[in-house]
Amino acid sequence: MEQLKQIASLALSALTENGADQAQVSVVRGEVEEYNADAGEFSLIRSVFTEGVAMKAVTGHKKGTFSVNSLEETEVLDGARQCVEASLVGAPDEAVAIAEKEENRDFVSGVTEPDKAAFFDSLIRFTEDLKAEFPEIMLEQMIASFSGGKRVFANTNGVLFTEADGSYSVSVMYSAHRDGASTSFNYFDIETLDPNARIMDLGMCRTMFGRAVAELDAAPFNGKFVGTAVFAPGALPEVIDVITGAFTGDYALIEGTSPWRDRLGQKVADESFTLSVLSRDPRLVSEENITSDGYLSESFDVIRNGVLKAFCLSDYGARRTGGLRAKSTGSVAVEPGEEPLADLVRRIGDGILVCRFSGGEPASNGDFSGVAKNSFLIRGGRIAGALTETMISGNFAAMLRDIRGVSKEALLDGSSVLPYVAFGGVTVSGKD
Amino acid sequence: MFDQTIRDLVSAAADHAEIRLQRGEAHRVSVLSGKLVGNVSSRSAGAMARVYNNGVWGVASSCSSDETELRRLFAAAAENASLLNARRPKNRGPLGSGAPVFYEDRRVIRKTEQKQLIDFAMALDSHIGGSYPGLLSRSVGLIANCGQKTLYTENGGFSYQIFPRCYAVVAMSVDTPDGEPVELFDVFGGGAGFFTDFYGDPAALYAGVDRLYTELMQKREGVFPNAGVRTCVIDPAISGMIAHEAVGHTVEADFVLAGSVAKGAVGQAVASPLVSITDFAHTAFGQAAPLPVRVDDEGTLCADAPLIRDGILTGYMHNAESAAVFGMENRGNARANAYSDEPLIRMRNTAIHPGTDKLENMIASVEDGYYLTRTQNGQADTTGEFMFGVTSGYEIKNGKLGRALRDTTISGVAFQTLKTVDMLSDGVNWDFAGHCGKKQPIAVSMGGPAIRCRVNIGGR
Repeated sequence: MEQLKQIASLALSALTENGADQAQVSVVRGEVEEYNADAGEFSLIRSVFTEGVAMKAVTGHKKGTFSVNSLEETEVLDGARQCVEASLVGAPDEAVAIAEKEENRDFVSGVTEPDKAAFFDSLIRFTEDLKAEFPEIMLEQMIASFSGGKRVFANTNGVLFTEADGSYSVSVMYSAHRDGASTSFNYFDIETLDPNARIMDLGMCRTMFGRAVAELDAAPFNGKFVGTAVFAPGALPEVIDVITGAFTGDYALIEGTSPWRDRLGQKVADESFTLSVLSRDPRLVSEENITSDGYLSESFDVIRNGVLKAFCLSDYGARRTGGLRAKSTGSVAVEPGEEPLADLVRRIGDGILVCRFSGGEPASNGDFSGVAKNSFLIRGGRIAGALTETMISGNFAAMLRDIRGVSKEALLDGSSVLPYVAFGGVTVSGKD
Repeated sequence: MFDQTIRDLVSAAADHAEIRLQRGEAHRVSVLSGKLVGNVSSRSAGAMARVYNNGVWGVASSCSSDETELRRLFAAAAENASLLNARRPKNRGPLGSGAPVFYEDRRVIRKTEQKQLIDFAMALDSHIGGSYPGLLSRSVGLIANCGQKTLYTENGGFSYQIFPRCYAVVAMSVDTPDGEPVELFDVFGGGAGFFTDFYGDPAALYAGVDRLYTELMQKREGVFPNAGVRTCVIDPAISGMIAHEAVGHTVEADFVLAGSVAKGAVGQAVASPLVSITDFAHTAFGQAAPLPVRVDDEGTLCADAPLIRDGILTGYMHNAESAAVFGMENRGNARANAYSDEPLIRMRNTAIHPGTDKLENMIASVEDGYYLTRTQNGQADTTGEFMFGVTSGYEIKNGKLGRALRDTTISGVAFQTLKTVDMLSDGVNWDFAGHCGKKQPIAVSMGGPAIRCRVNIGGR
């Protein structure tokens, strides 16, 4: 870490000596040990050694950024020169700034001494568990890795943070196959700190593989109805991305395209809905210590009981709009409800369970349409047949006001907390 | 001297092995309603070693590429392959590399000045702001990258290629009469070259930006489609996406091995006899392809990969390993993005071949349907089921264009949709600004003519 601090100091000095009024640097060194499986068989082990410096210079309210993947002194000094040069030819913007001074801290979290052999054993066991428990599942691709590293963040306001962290992750893409029939692919990611973890027991592995097998009997949906769509944890990020982007993000608020631009403190969703951005939480493996702007990260609510509590603005976005910057850029969590999924489905009666959504970029007002992938009809209060070629459309802002229930069960995959959320007012259309 | 050291190192491998050195520069400028919000440049360099061992691979990479580091990487790659072969052997035997390939790109790299990009983007933004005062927002983005790859293979092969690429993106939004914003964006100019190859006077783009604004104002008054399966005339911007997403991925041999819909379908009719699709290496329809690739990242000389001929599935795209498994010709589809990435089976320039129809006749032939002109994103899966976001289009009523459309989505199953194609226009347009996101994002181009077919369209 001391060497990274020295490079950070060197870069800051070079940036100011080249003419920067303000400057910030992020110096990183890391390693990734990656294990790949393709078409059900292990195919590759990859070792990646990385390092680099990302710099930002502010000169006369003009910003330039430059990054180089080297910690060689000559490269760092040349990068600092180019960074300041870029700022000098930029355009002035009063909102450009660097992070203000807070208490300097050193963070150590997660796995700093990986047990790669144990993790590899866990991956082999996972593939064996999968073959034994779900022989119809084809592991199309698995990318698993240990990622760890050290980072120094510093700026000319006196900020100096250090971080050392690491974790194991498994990303799985799969489909089911039987007698020449196959399903759409689906995927999930899991993050853990335990190299000996039985991966099949994590997240919602068995639920998702089981549903994929059920999809082998999928059929196209014929007809069209407007009703309730239960978004499974795998589909819910589509809604969250719109909330944190098109409704509360920098671009939407700077440009005034957000339908919630004047709704802070007002009800924008059903009171059963609470969305938080978490710097750390007992349910999460991921921790965020420092925001992407260089501030200490703190958990905050975007929506609490349906009321819009905060925007997801960067430091720049906050200065441009006169708002408050988001206190964290970490993991998202939707607060689970009290009702078991089975009861929720029974109460809904008829609708659709959307397990994955494949759609176009939603419009800035929340209009969307796309394909309900890996999804099921809900008929007579139970999850019925799997669907193919079924489209859904609606408006996310209207759907958030029309929430019919939030499940007690939630996906805990290490980097998010996601229950099932039932939305009303969704158009479901099939082939005819 | 250093060159010989690398040759000696890689040639010591018992089976297929590569060492790849890469350097790259990237520049990005973003202007949002008159403010320069992005002024980003970067430089990267590094090396990757990859070693094959009895059906499995070991890879190691680092941002350093001196002799000591290369020796360390090569040893680490060999150790990774050995470990995997010991624990999970595939027992596929030797792979080899065949005859060595030599290629040296002799183009001269020109430096991109950040100031050029900023001045151009600010001028274009100023024109848009001054010409269209009713806009809710506007943005201009300029991207200019150049990568260099040097590849050494264990059979003595050597290649050096440069990959310059630049493009400009303009986006605008406006409020609808009911106060809801609608947006449109498009790519203007650019291609596989340097910034100054394509961009001089910003005024050269004004006519195109005017057309985008006109379409946006039509979309402002737009309607949602009537959801369901409809007859559509699909512009090249979208038909290229069908070639890439809906067909291309299903015939990448690694996905075929994983059970894609194309498994076992070679020789079968999967499309209308009017449809042919090829993944072009470097030359297409008598002209340079938008993103030419001469030698792939395993050292294979690149050739065109015919995928569908007159409606019949003719083959898959391969790397060396999958070509050996299937006993098919390897046409050089193994590509890596960053220096740290291993080569994967990737597309290059994938296009539907043109037909003989005129676009105006195709539109006139539709009694009740849609003319779809722009797409934003797309996704397909190994069953061939695809989805594309459609950001611009028009109703067709009795052979004439009607009201503009709001954002929607189309979907279908590739080999079913392609069987409904009954008209293709006589020209090909390319989209070269896209990236394919299969594990590593990599630059690809896609193209085609306008096609008439039946697809499922979302709406209200």
